[in-house]
Amino acid sequence: MKISVCVGSSCHLKGSYKIIEKFKECIAANGLEDSVTLQAAFCLGKCTNGVSVKMDDEIVCGVSEENAEAVFNQYVLQKSGR
Amino acid sequence: MNNLCTDIGYTSVNKAGEQLCGDHVEVVNQEDGSVVLVLADGLGSGVKANILSTLTSKIISTMMANNLSIEDCVATIAATLPVCEVRGIAYSTFTILRIAGQREAEIIQYDNPHVILLREGKHIDYPETAMEIGGKTIYRSRVALQENDVFIAMSDGAIHAGVGSSLNFGWQREDIIDFMEMMYDNDYTAKTLSTLLVGECNRLYGGKPGDDTTACTVKIRQRRPVNLLIGPPSDPADVGKMMALFFGKEGKHIVCGGTTSTLAAQFLHEEVVPELDYVDPEIPPTAKIRGVDLVTEGVITINRVLTYAQSYLADNSEYSKWGYQRDGASRIARLLFEEATDINFYVGRAVNPAHQNPDLPINFSIKMRLVDQLSDCLRKMGKRIKVSYF
Repeated sequence: MKISVCVGSSCHLKGSYKIIEKFKECIAANGLEDSVTLQAAFCLGKCTNGVSVKMDDEIVCGVSEENAEAVFNQYVLQKSGR
Repeated sequence: MNNLCTDIGYTSVNKAGEQLCGDHVEVVNQEDGSVVLVLADGLGSGVKANILSTLTSKIISTMMANNLSIEDCVATIAATLPVCEVRGIAYSTFTILRIAGQREAEIIQYDNPHVILLREGKHIDYPETAMEIGGKTIYRSRVALQENDVFIAMSDGAIHAGVGSSLNFGWQREDIIDFMEMMYDNDYTAKTLSTLLVGECNRLYGGKPGDDTTACTVKIRQRRPVNLLIGPPSDPADVGKMMALFFGKEGKHIVCGGTTSTLAAQFLHEEVVPELDYVDPEIPPTAKIRGVDLVTEGVITINRVLTYAQSYLADNSEYSKWGYQRDGASRIARLLFEEATDINFYVGRAVNPAHQNPDLPINFSIKMRLVDQLSDCLRKMGKRIKVSYF
């Protein structure tokens, strides 16, 4: 699975850095380093509703530091059948 | 004509407790491309020294720029400068550097520490001819220029640094030569070299300079263009034209902005590959596009570059950050401040609807203002700037 966190201007200001850090923690905590690739994306075009994150081909908007772990659980853990 | 140009940078620290500097640097760029630079050190310190050195450097630079002889300059100064009540003399020492046609430097020195010439980072001596004008001994030299020649002029505050505190007799011109040879790096700008020297003097003085201390560096270098693209054009039909003009330019290419870099990648038939590294948590990560030298986010990054530019023009205190860090803003700063002599901005005026959100501290007018302010700063650094809007 590929997770791309938007680091465009708007999303950056809304906390992309913190979300990347959170996702790194989640990946490490679940031992998913081999199956999940975390990367940055340059502007996913959803600037008004950041932070935007692309989970494979699905764009999830409104990710924040608070809900990052829930989003990770919902989209990554459930899909990978855990 | 050769392709050489001059990079001039100077900086000063004031004598401890003084608000005004008694040293003054004046630079006159002439239409034929030659440059006249005068570093004057007024007698004493504070207001009086400031007036003496300002008058001296203004008079000499204006007269020399109009091709009047050095004899006339000295006579004019002697007749014009106000006489010090305490000491009964009118006095300001000076160093004149005239770079003519990027081929030859003429150095005229009166009582300042003699100009240091580094060629490829190594000190070399140059011949001097002494002459008497109005009872003053003035040294005159001519040096044929080579690329990477560095001329360092300084006021006597530099060689007195450390007297009585960290060094008994101050450090001599020879010590300054050793220091500058050791610190020298071909990538350093004139301003950086001046900052290094004055910073070291200030350190030797223990942060309390006993005299106004100024260093002024002239570096002879090749002209080097850098091109920066920011923002999509206001009319989407102009994308192809804007990209073709931008990528057709000689020199390095910087692309700023998420949408802008996507468009640039499409034009080049390449992919935008973002990096995950947040080197500096405040500056969004950079990306890579094959065929582009640097790809960064837009407004936030450029805003930081502007902060660095303003610092560079003042005391250059942010150099320890932008001089070494790998984040987008620092890398743009190094390309624009150090490497470039000619900078072409390609500015797209499209309005990003997402940036009009009142919750965000970025909007269209801020972006335009950033480019204006940054190009002003770069002009003050002596760069040739061209801004094209689309």
